[in-house]
Amino acid sequence: MRPDVAWMEVHTENYMGGGTPLRYLDAIRRDHPISLHGVGLSLGSAQGLDPAHLERIRVVAERVEPGLMSEHIAWSVVGGTYLADLLPLPMTEESLAVVCRHVDQVQTCMKRRILVENPSTYLRFRHSTIPEWEFMAAVALRTGCGILCDVNNIYVSAHNHGWDASAYLAGLPPAAIGEIHLAGHSVRPLPDGGTVRIDDHGSKVIGEVWALYREALARFGPLPTLIEWDTDVPPLEVLLGEAEFAGALLVRAEQEARGADAA
Amino acid sequence: MPTLLETQRAMRASLVDGDDRKAAALLADDVGAARLNIYRNTFVTGVTKALRLTYPAIHRLVGADFFEAAAARFIARHPPRTAYLDQYGADFPDFLRNFQPAASLAYLADVARLEWAVSRAIHAADAEPLDLARLAALSPQDQARVCFVPHPANGLLCADHPADTIWRGVLNGDDAALAGVDLGAGPVRLLVERRATGVEVSRLDEAAWCFTVALCDGWSVEEALAGAAGASVAPLLTEHLAAGRFIDFHLAQRKP
Repeated sequence: MRPDVAWMEVHTENYMGGGTPLRYLDAIRRDHPISLHGVGLSLGSAQGLDPAHLERIRVVAERVEPGLMSEHIAWSVVGGTYLADLLPLPMTEESLAVVCRHVDQVQTCMKRRILVENPSTYLRFRHSTIPEWEFMAAVALRTGCGILCDVNNIYVSAHNHGWDASAYLAGLPPAAIGEIHLAGHSVRPLPDGGTVRIDDHGSKVIGEVWALYREALARFGPLPTLIEWDTDVPPLEVLLGEAEFAGALLVRAEQEARGADAA
Repeated sequence: MPTLLETQRAMRASLVDGDDRKAAALLADDVGAARLNIYRNTFVTGVTKALRLTYPAIHRLVGADFFEAAAARFIARHPPRTAYLDQYGADFPDFLRNFQPAASLAYLADVARLEWAVSRAIHAADAEPLDLARLAALSPQDQARVCFVPHPANGLLCADHPADTIWRGVLNGDDAALAGVDLGAGPVRLLVERRATGVEVSRLDEAAWCFTVALCDGWSVEEALAGAAGASVAPLLTEHLAAGRFIDFHLAQRKP
């Protein structure tokens, strides 16, 4: 079965070898544009990017010729250890300089613009001085990269840190937004009696996140939107139902954008 | 103010070594140190899953609880170095060999070595098989000097226990095959390769295995044949070539 979707996104790290996975990717690429979404480059590493990993990404990109390429405003490597998660950065001028240097390096290596995604975070550092949305905007402004706006991540982080999700959206530069992510998340109790929301891509997008998505579309215009669902993967029709719902909201946003242009 | 590197080292100590002291001191006042557990769990769970995908037969042999406990110890000692997790876990067989709680399962490390070779075969880079016309174009003297480059998916291993029978039996849930395993039957010599239909594991006899190891290690055809000391291995060379187990060659220097 060939699902009726406009494009597909894969994790770059799953296609760094040869054999069957690459054959499947080639087959998908024959029918659909592909977005390469990396999870392991660690743009926020104080000790620099791993040149071998950057080269592996370059090789995948050369083969796939992706429509979009993205990574995260996060880090996962220190002292030659990969910590297998998108870890939060202290929001400081030093982190901003490190991330911008690495985004420059990646865009030079790939000879193209990349998108950087806002992460879901579960803790904050006491020495952070820059609001995350300003950090995102500054990276885009200084490097010319785009932003992959993960609406679920904004919702999750806003809950976890007591931010205003709408104010976060309003702080992002509309012209820089190149893609939107949506996903489900879970809620876990904390020892202090509160709750923390965890971005686990294992359920349907909740109503509040759909509402925030509408807000994002109104602010940024219609944009390629991906449903991330990679744990407890449901029957395909459930996933396609989510994509269809996002598609309907996108069509409406397009009509509204045209209406606004005509007015 | 702590530097970015200091912050990242503190997080590494928390996630890998379970030492939260430095990281907890860096958190904002309203952020409880319990939130570090979220990242530690994701790290350990994610890397354990990568190990389980590479070592499915070990996982079934020892059970989920034992596997997770062994993996946690292994991960703390050998954390991954890059995000390319398909390449993670090369040290797991050696770790299991010396892992005291598994000491009664003498064959475990051999099965793990086989699974590592299978994983390498699955993920190895693609490579075109050697064009046999290039060999045919050589003079017989030059053909003897050919040193092959093996396909990156090839793996060769010699195991003290019948790792292949155990591996197949476990993954197929074939209790009869497992009941028939003779752990004392002597070593098995295995060739692991990637075919169009998937990864295959086959047994070689001692002469064939030594000859194949010599060729894959870059010995010339002449040297490898000499090393085989009269065993009939020439048909095996033909089979290797037909199966695409070599991707290139160069010619050994002429002896002075």
